Amino acid sequence: MATVMSIFKFLMPLAYLVVWGTYLWLFYTDSPTARRLCTRFALIVVGLHTACIVGRGIILGRLPMGAPAEFFCALSLAMLATYMVIEIRIKAKNTGFLVTGVSFLFVLIGSLFSSTTDEVSPFLRDPGFAGHAVLVLFAYTALSLSFLYALLYLILNRQLMRHQFGLLFRRLPSLETLERMSIGAVKLGVPLLFAALCLGHLWMYDLADRVDADMAAMLTPWDPKIMISWVILLGYSLGLLGNRFLGWRGKRMNTLAVGAFVAVVLTMGLVYHFFPSFHNFRSHQPISALSGFPQSAAEMLAVNEEAGR
Amino acid sequence: MIGPTSLHVRSINHKTAPTEVREKAHLEPDRASALMDALGGHVADENHNPTVSENGCISVIPLSTCNRTEIYLEVVEGTDVDALLKKGLAEVGADPDLFFSEHASSWTDLDAVRHLYHVSAGLESMMLGEPQISAQLKDAYRLARSHHEPGPGLMRAFQGAFRAGKRVRTETKISTGAVSVAFAAVELARKFFDKLSDQRAVLVGAGETGGLAARHFLQHNIGHLVVVNRSLGNAEVLAATLREEMKSGPSKKAAKNSGGLLPPAADADGKSGQISVMAWEHLTDAIAEADVILSTTGATEPVILPDMVRAAVAKRKGKPLFMLDIAVPRDIHPDVSHINSVFTFGLDDLDGIIQGNLAARARQVPHAQGIIEEELVEFQTWLDEIDIRPTVAEFKAYLEELKDKQVGFVRKKQSDEVAQAVDHSLQQFIKKVLGRSVSTLKSSQTREERERDLETLKKIFSADDPD
Repeated sequence: MATVMSIFKFLMPLAYLVVWGTYLWLFYTDSPTARRLCTRFALIVVGLHTACIVGRGIILGRLPMGAPAEFFCALSLAMLATYMVIEIRIKAKNTGFLVTGVSFLFVLIGSLFSSTTDEVSPFLRDPGFAGHAVLVLFAYTALSLSFLYALLYLILNRQLMRHQFGLLFRRLPSLETLERMSIGAVKLGVPLLFAALCLGHLWMYDLADRVDADMAAMLTPWDPKIMISWVILLGYSLGLLGNRFLGWRGKRMNTLAVGAFVAVVLTMGLVYHFFPSFHNFRSHQPISALSGFPQSAAEMLAVNEEAGR
Repeated sequence: MIGPTSLHVRSINHKTAPTEVREKAHLEPDRASALMDALGGHVADENHNPTVSENGCISVIPLSTCNRTEIYLEVVEGTDVDALLKKGLAEVGADPDLFFSEHASSWTDLDAVRHLYHVSAGLESMMLGEPQISAQLKDAYRLARSHHEPGPGLMRAFQGAFRAGKRVRTETKISTGAVSVAFAAVELARKFFDKLSDQRAVLVGAGETGGLAARHFLQHNIGHLVVVNRSLGNAEVLAATLREEMKSGPSKKAAKNSGGLLPPAADADGKSGQISVMAWEHLTDAIAEADVILSTTGATEPVILPDMVRAAVAKRKGKPLFMLDIAVPRDIHPDVSHINSVFTFGLDDLDGIIQGNLAARARQVPHAQGIIEEELVEFQTWLDEIDIRPTVAEFKAYLEELKDKQVGFVRKKQSDEVAQAVDHSLQQFIKKVLGRSVSTLKSSQTREERERDLETLKKIFSADDPD
């Protein structure tokens, strides 16, 4: 199994490269063959990568998102999978080269810098946390795609305003389609983020009962990252409501989407660097050392059984 | 068997002749039919093979469109084609000298076929890659077939031309992108809106240009068209005409044959193609509710002013407004283009799009030519084998007969297994002998040499009786 995983580690960037190449081929030539192949290739790669990550998770006995390289691999899969949902719903393929290009870059980083270290946070061995983390990953990926499409909208809008009829004019879908893709991504991201936050809260309360007092004291819903996530969820939800009921659209709506995502990145960056948070899963953080949190899946099972008795 | 033939084409087209010359050379269907009758080759024998008329003509296919009149001929080798054609044209009342003037071009044999393939692929069209020529060529071929069975050369050449044209259009991008003003307007509108059937257009002005632009948007399924004109009566007349045309629009098949230039009539569900009129006083309201504005009035001063558009935009909540001004002088005040969420375009912009698309099509020409050369190789291969095929078939039949006799003889003396083995072995032998014979015949350097080889082969297998 481990050998198969090692092979996949090298094959996966190649598979992403093929997908990216096919989307690039489509963008530059509008070839019917590329149009027919790109979605199929992408879906195959999503399936393969999902199997690969699940397999790796089974081998390691934890969520394979502990090391930075693992995170990049998961991020590439999340981007491609989320993009596929949007592409299949909106039926517009000509922007695929951007997302698949970024996905390829992430999976390449993940493969080049992957290490065999297993020193990760014990949280990653908890199924509740795994669900929360995966949902968060997909939610923020969807929001980042919304940003990307809103940005493309603004670029095409600018080109049309300036009467420039170049390659982007010829290849990008209509402004309306780009707006639908951007809003579609938000419609995907908002419920995922909501589910992620709810699951995170449930998991946190469940965890508080299973760890020692020091650790339990740190598990607070007032954690800055959690609070800012609720604010982000609220902001995007208001945007969706404005679009649905107040008819917000066009340049204004897309500028808002771009601005919102930039604000998310900046705020998250600030919170991460200047506020203490229990949302830190690197192995050397004091949280794992301080807590009585189980260090392996077997230990986790034992703790759960104990709690059950 | 017709014997050695040659292919010829005489062409008067937009590259060599001005419009007035092309008009004179035009052969309407009746005259084209008369030319086919005059040149002969219109009777087939009992096996539906074309016959040769006394003048040496085997078949003739005239093609006449706005941009070209071409006469494709297959004649017995050595026929005086020029004299034949002049006589035929004179008989149908056309001007024969026109087809032999400096405005005419001619090609023979493979060059004639190459020209036909180029025409079929749209490479010779005024608008590079335009799709109608394919349907026009098929109509010409159909008309010719209704008169006479085309000769083997022309039949093969036309079938190859249809295939080459189809391949060029599907394997290259030579037919993509708008190359007419009205189509470019639709293409531009599609950069704003996903589906035109969900959009509302306002046509400002009820003149001829406006009607033409409106037709294109209706044919591309615009959801709702509102005609606004200073004279409400004229607006109503145009709306009624457009409604009538929408009801009796071209069939889906005709639309397909037109290559997208004549899209089918509006959907029967009435989702698209609704047409109404509004009084001139309500122009601002009409703009506020519209997604697409087509302005085509004959006014000497702008009729769509910044204040009107600002008032309309205030009600639109950021929704883009696409405004197309195809009037000269312009109908939309230049300051309108500075209003947020309003996109104004004019004739120059449409021309820019057309030029861009034509340049993109021109870049596809080498690829298209490559496909045509591939198809020509196939035609040449067929041509190389056409005269040896009957002799080879006879030779094969002779060898098969010999084989059957031998196998029958073996079957009488030996078991079925042995007979089957001999049969299989002899089949392989025949295949090798035939393959060798065909390749030897095809390698003949001259027609005379090939005829001599064919005669020799015939002598070999007819010298003795298999018995």
